[in-house]
Amino acid sequence: MAGTPSNHPSMFKNPVLNWVNDRFPLTALIKTSASEYYAPKNFNFWYYFGSLALLVLVLQIVTGIFLTMNYKPDAAYAFGSVEYIMRDVDYGWLVRYMHSTGASAFFVVVYLHMCRGLMYGSYRKPRELTWIFGMLIYLALMAEAFFGYLLPWGQMSFWGAQVIVNIFSAIPFIGPDLAVWIRGDYAIGDATLNRFFAFHVIALPLVLLGLVVAHLIALHETGSNNPDGVEINEGPKGNRWSKDAPADGIPFHPYYTVKDILGVVVFLMIFTAVVFFMPEMGGYFLEYNNFIPADPLKTPPHIAPVWYFTPYYSILRAVPPLFGSQFPGVIAMGLSVMIFFALPWLDRGAVKSIRYRGTLYKSYFAMFLVCFVLLGYLGVNSTDVWGQFGDWSSMLDTKDRATWVARVCTVGYFAFFFLMPWYTKADKTKPVPARVTSH
Amino acid sequence: MKLRTFLAALALVVAPTVALASGGPEIKYVGVTADRTDIASLQRGARLFVNYCVNCHSAQYMRYNRLKDLNLTEDQIKQNLMFTTDKIGDTMKAAIKPNDAKEWFGAVPPDLSVMARSYTTEKLAGYLRSFYADDNRETGWNNLVSPNIGMPHVLNELSGPQKLVETVFTADGKEIKTDHDAEARAKAAFVAANTMAAFEHHSEKKDGKTVNHYVVKTIASAGPGAMTAQQYDAAVADLVNFMDYVAEPHKAKRIQIGIIALFLLGFLLAAAYALKKEYWSDVH
Repeated sequence: MAGTPSNHPSMFKNPVLNWVNDRFPLTALIKTSASEYYAPKNFNFWYYFGSLALLVLVLQIVTGIFLTMNYKPDAAYAFGSVEYIMRDVDYGWLVRYMHSTGASAFFVVVYLHMCRGLMYGSYRKPRELTWIFGMLIYLALMAEAFFGYLLPWGQMSFWGAQVIVNIFSAIPFIGPDLAVWIRGDYAIGDATLNRFFAFHVIALPLVLLGLVVAHLIALHETGSNNPDGVEINEGPKGNRWSKDAPADGIPFHPYYTVKDILGVVVFLMIFTAVVFFMPEMGGYFLEYNNFIPADPLKTPPHIAPVWYFTPYYSILRAVPPLFGSQFPGVIAMGLSVMIFFALPWLDRGAVKSIRYRGTLYKSYFAMFLVCFVLLGYLGVNSTDVWGQFGDWSSMLDTKDRATWVARVCTVGYFAFFFLMPWYTKADKTKPVPARVTSH
Repeated sequence: MKLRTFLAALALVVAPTVALASGGPEIKYVGVTADRTDIASLQRGARLFVNYCVNCHSAQYMRYNRLKDLNLTEDQIKQNLMFTTDKIGDTMKAAIKPNDAKEWFGAVPPDLSVMARSYTTEKLAGYLRSFYADDNRETGWNNLVSPNIGMPHVLNELSGPQKLVETVFTADGKEIKTDHDAEARAKAAFVAANTMAAFEHHSEKKDGKTVNHYVVKTIASAGPGAMTAQQYDAAVADLVNFMDYVAEPHKAKRIQIGIIALFLLGFLLAAAYALKKEYWSDVH
């Protein structure tokens, strides 16, 4: 970069800036990542969630730092220290509610961000690595949420962790030893709490930050996709700012920075309303049972994971055991998350964006979304939520209606992925315009 | 447009689930509630709490000096509300020793600091209004909401003795012709009850046939107490109101700040929108 006229050292009036630029590519960095990063000008509503995810990440890190100042990762004090934060620490309640609401907000934003990627084919060539880094972020986020959920040491923290660690013990041969290795004890206990704390506040945040940087570097290398799925870099060149830049691109700064600020304010209004008026969100963000201290001797009548894990939990429950082992369910659950990695290679459609896809793809996509939401809903509830089938169903392994719905949805969920190479290829697509639709 | 159609379809799929949900015995919660901002109610609740609850229950995360929130001075707190300690910065510890409690009640009475958050205020009030005399229990008391609970009716002197009234509806082929009739009558009685009520369904095998019983359980007074029924309901509302305060002392402040924060964000929204509109005016 050095040597090009616009980045020439000592070109600014401000001597401090010149001094820095002679030693560090500050101006060049700002240009390549913001003021001369050309993004398609037709971003819509769905494009707010990337910047919002970054905002929530920062929010979680900052509130998390303040929480660790008063939290005690000790089975005897953890629950009490959270209540201490809620009562005796000045505005501790606010920091804690921001952190607990932030956890759910993170998943809301990330799910919408991923849904955008699915709709407009943002995972497809040349953005496969951006998608893979994004998926790794999602995995790290799930681990981060799982470890963090144990820390308040309430009943749901304890029994939720118990259920999830037990998932690992269903793996044949090594399972039980693996579960002990994860817990650091034969039961969830003080050792578990300490190591989960370490993972939650140090290990995973580091991984997350690194992955976010990689996600952004990969994105900026290829340039952003857009709702039309048109590659603006392959289109005509030349715009008001530069004759080499894509004609349908506008500088990220100031256009998308000011637009994202608007998105941030709207998001913060919703976030604020939850934090101040309904921090428990009806038991979905803070579960009622988690206000009871962890008690290894008292199993709660109904254990459900937090809402953002429930689609996968539903799949785990829906798969019937084989020879008394839950392992098939564990495999299905693992696969249901990991299958997203293969998406760039499963999709053989002629177009990227749902705007130009045919009815076939749209039907599969709609089915996938319905299945995902239904699985999520069923995972929150016990399996008898929809009652039972009548006497005729005695030859079935379970009479619970909800379990059968979950099974159908599990099949639908996997059909979206496994049949994708065929239906995307067979799909009657519409012609894609040469340039973005609003030029 | 397409998104809206899709969301509407999604709502149709999810909506029936609410109606289909079912569970064990159905409990009807009735009773009055008190206003969280009513300081007088919270003060009355505090008095009931320290007089009746803190003997056996702790609220180990609640400090006595926090009660200054309720417009009380340290002297007032010390003289009227502190019986188990003399340090104003102490938390509310039960008078009873945990081991003794375990021996007497079968379990250590749970800590009440955040009880209103795990159990909800509606259920707490219902629970406190649902005690009835039961000779089969060691304590002499039972509870409609939490059957066979170890806790006796500590507010007995206020409410006066209470008894359980059980009405069973069974199809007899005469006045109540079918199971459907029995269930409908029981439901009607359940809905009409103006006290705490439970609706249960039992079935038994009799001469090879299934006989269905639809049972409505209600609570009735069995003698006068220090308070009338209305006064007792109001007292329970005050007590539960106080427990709600104990569970989250900063709740009132939280809502106050939230309104201000939203108001300020509203201004920011207008500014952010104007800024965006101005910058984007040259993008076509």
